Amino acid sequence: MSDMPYPDALRVDAFDKVRGVQRYAADNARPGLAHAVLATATIARGTVRRIDAAAARAVPGVRLVLTHEELNGLKPPGFLMGGGYGFQSIQPITSPHIAYRGQPIALVVADNLEAAAEGARLIRADYAAEPHQVTLDAPEADIVAQADSPLPKPMFADVKAGEADAAYAAAAIRIEADFRHPPQHQNPIEMLSTVAEWRDGHLTVHEGTQNAEAIRHGLARQLGIEPERITVLSPSAGGGFGQKNSLQAHTVLAAEAARRLERPVKLVVTRAQIFHDSSFRPASRHRIRLGADTAGRMVALIHETDSQTSRHDLFPTQYTELSARLYGIAGFRGRERLVRTDVQTPGYMRAPYEHPAAFAVECCVDELAYRLGRDPVALRLANDTTADPITGQPYSSRYLAECLRRGAARFGWDRRSMEPGSMRAEDGSLMGWGVAIGAYKAATAAAIARLRLSADGAVTFSVGVHEMGQGIRTAIFAVLVRRLGVEPGRITLEIGSTGTTPQHLTAGSWGTATAIPAAEEVCDALLRALETLPSRLSLAERLRAAGRPYLEVEVSRRAPGQPEAVMGRLTSGLPAAMGPAYPGYVSFSHVAHFVEVRVEPSTRRIRVPRVVSVADCGRVISPRTAASQLRGGVIWGIGAALREVSEVDVRYGGFLNADLAEYVLPVHADIGTIDVEFVDAPDPRLNAAGVKGLGEVSMVGVAPAIANAVHHATGRRLRALPIRVEDLL
Amino acid sequence: MDDKPDGRNDNPASVGRRDLMIGATLATAPFAKAATAQVTATQEGMTGRTEVSLTVNGEAKRLSLDPRASLLDTLREELALTGAKKGCDHGQCGACTVHLDGRRIASCLTLAVQADGCAVTTIEGVSPEDGSLHPMQQAFIDHDALQCGYCTPGQIMAAIACVREGHVGNADEIREYMSGNLCRCGAYAGILAAIQDAASKMRAG
Repeated sequence: MSDMPYPDALRVDAFDKVRGVQRYAADNARPGLAHAVLATATIARGTVRRIDAAAARAVPGVRLVLTHEELNGLKPPGFLMGGGYGFQSIQPITSPHIAYRGQPIALVVADNLEAAAEGARLIRADYAAEPHQVTLDAPEADIVAQADSPLPKPMFADVKAGEADAAYAAAAIRIEADFRHPPQHQNPIEMLSTVAEWRDGHLTVHEGTQNAEAIRHGLARQLGIEPERITVLSPSAGGGFGQKNSLQAHTVLAAEAARRLERPVKLVVTRAQIFHDSSFRPASRHRIRLGADTAGRMVALIHETDSQTSRHDLFPTQYTELSARLYGIAGFRGRERLVRTDVQTPGYMRAPYEHPAAFAVECCVDELAYRLGRDPVALRLANDTTADPITGQPYSSRYLAECLRRGAARFGWDRRSMEPGSMRAEDGSLMGWGVAIGAYKAATAAAIARLRLSADGAVTFSVGVHEMGQGIRTAIFAVLVRRLGVEPGRITLEIGSTGTTPQHLTAGSWGTATAIPAAEEVCDALLRALETLPSRLSLAERLRAAGRPYLEVEVSRRAPGQPEAVMGRLTSGLPAAMGPAYPGYVSFSHVAHFVEVRVEPSTRRIRVPRVVSVADCGRVISPRTAASQLRGGVIWGIGAALREVSEVDVRYGGFLNADLAEYVLPVHADIGTIDVEFVDAPDPRLNAAGVKGLGEVSMVGVAPAIANAVHHATGRRLRALPIRVEDLL
Repeated sequence: MDDKPDGRNDNPASVGRRDLMIGATLATAPFAKAATAQVTATQEGMTGRTEVSLTVNGEAKRLSLDPRASLLDTLREELALTGAKKGCDHGQCGACTVHLDGRRIASCLTLAVQADGCAVTTIEGVSPEDGSLHPMQQAFIDHDALQCGYCTPGQIMAAIACVREGHVGNADEIREYMSGNLCRCGAYAGILAAIQDAASKMRAG
């Protein structure tokens, strides 16, 4: 079926969303619900010597105050990257130890939100402060070479191919440059929100998440109860972007408060608190050495990184998994180091490694084009490859050159003049045109899919995947409609909530390549079960003819090469995904971005009026939501390149601009035309549906395309993000 | 993000990202009405309660509220009208946008007592009674002007106001006057197209 493109179809949950009836976790409002608010630490590192909650407890309406003196029985969740479930290993409010500024120190629960907020403001703590440091400029003792760390190998070993250092030393053209990327926060507009409720010893948690199964199993570990006694409901998350990929620190606090009060508790973490109570994109720096011969063949690439982690966890990095794969460079050497800082553990934010890595490499490739006097698109096409330079295996599919050619034509790239500062817009502003490529691993997770056809024609489908706005519901509908010929109105999807099939983490752009092949296989299983009955009848008619009230089929599906044992990880809420390297091939999605910037001559204000992006994500299942997702990724790239930075408070720890006025997200007025296109060529080797992934690759390469366009407009090479007006003055 | 050197503050109905915040702190008219609200002590404790009368989506409501309650929390927690969303609680994201006497406001920055005696319209109140959709809602579906949907009710309430204010002259004007409503998923292109589409239908209707 992968040889047939999918037709345009409306987003299936749009009707509910435009009426405001789509329910998110905090929309759970009812009489008797108690409201909880966190109080947080005002030092960057140290110990709570004494905590005074008397004033908070005296606020009318306050029913419960929890501090570390009350909560020392809760167990830690374990770290997501270390066999656990939490975004970090430690659980705040269970010990007097303060690991970072903004760490929760108390929870105040009241009959109404106003009283809870007043109570939280009245919590006072005396601290014994210890020295802290929050930047990459750390003492040697705080720098950990990932290759020598306890992190699992080969996953977090240094990436190497050929003799990169020798090839670089011998290269006719050598480019060496340092790049800096600031910490950034995901900031989905839905804040971290939990409603927790106990009934007859069973805990129900309403929380928008990308990983309901981790919340369930992690809470079971923390509370010391069986996972069967916990249900996590997340039918729709208000954006995730990596932030909601694990058990958050606040969730168990809401659950514990609800248990003690014997009433449901709602805990919404405030926007300012989210900057410290959940993960973020760590600060990183990148040293690139790129060598090429005079004909423009890239022969060596050395990529060395330092990336921020916390003092209590090693958040691993894989920047070089991407930089090694952008081109067919024979000599590659990566080296990744982690820098311990006094912050909450950083984590995944859309294209976590790939966006910063592509920024560093693709700016250098542009510089190489200028050193050679070669057109930047032609240079990239000349260095394309069909085989993975690290493993030597072929790519399952790679239409990067097609992305570049189509994008160049669509953008009108042939009208570009090479010389920096040589193009002017009608309004007199400096005009720059830049290009960059991106890639992102095409990963796949294990899944169980279940399909039930009722004799009345209704279809219920469940698989492990979460809807965070990317459009997975719409994509699943497309498959069920095509395979089973059912009307969309007869389909019920059970995704994102536990109690159906295992709700594996939805991240890493593996949602579609996990859920869609599983949906196809379970549809085929249903059709096979009915094939002895006359095919002129509809599926429901065949079922009725057989005298069956319903038929339910289930399939288990593993990624190519995944061992059977992975199903145990799947059912216990642990990550069970693999890629990009599969037996016999390597899989990536690809993209090419073409950007026009305009720099106003006197103020140096930078605008991005026009972007053209062409993506190779395999078969496009839902053209409409895919186009929206690609445009959204481009906007993330614009934000990362020109706006977003979490300002670090070196003196007092924490992040300074912890709100949406000071942490500047792209707004309507920042966004011009974004023209997107898909190669839409299936990758049947990866799966029969031919799908790869799209959510993250959309963003990869946008920032360097902008930086390269700024260079084209102004002649300035800017290597630290975000690029601001003052950088061009 | 960029200030336009025009005099858009002259128009009391215009709302940009900064104006929303300025408007909330300087909005004196609703405060004048709030003076009529009565603060009383309840039997259950020391908390002062305030009687507030609102007309919400055409329906008269008389509420006894904590005087510190925002209009947003009142709509969501007291009236179970959860279409308006909380994304920041500081008037910085626009997800809580509702209409107060026909004017778009950030309901998180508006105390419920400020709205005493006023008419509030939320996303739940914009569709005709016959079950059809407001042209702006339909246009948001048609142009896929949303992804996660969380900011969508606020975007639609702002968009309807944007058309009524007459700020849909061209694409740049719409972008400027919609910049108080953040969409992290990045559905801005669809939202722009939806507003352009719905504007003509709203004028025709």
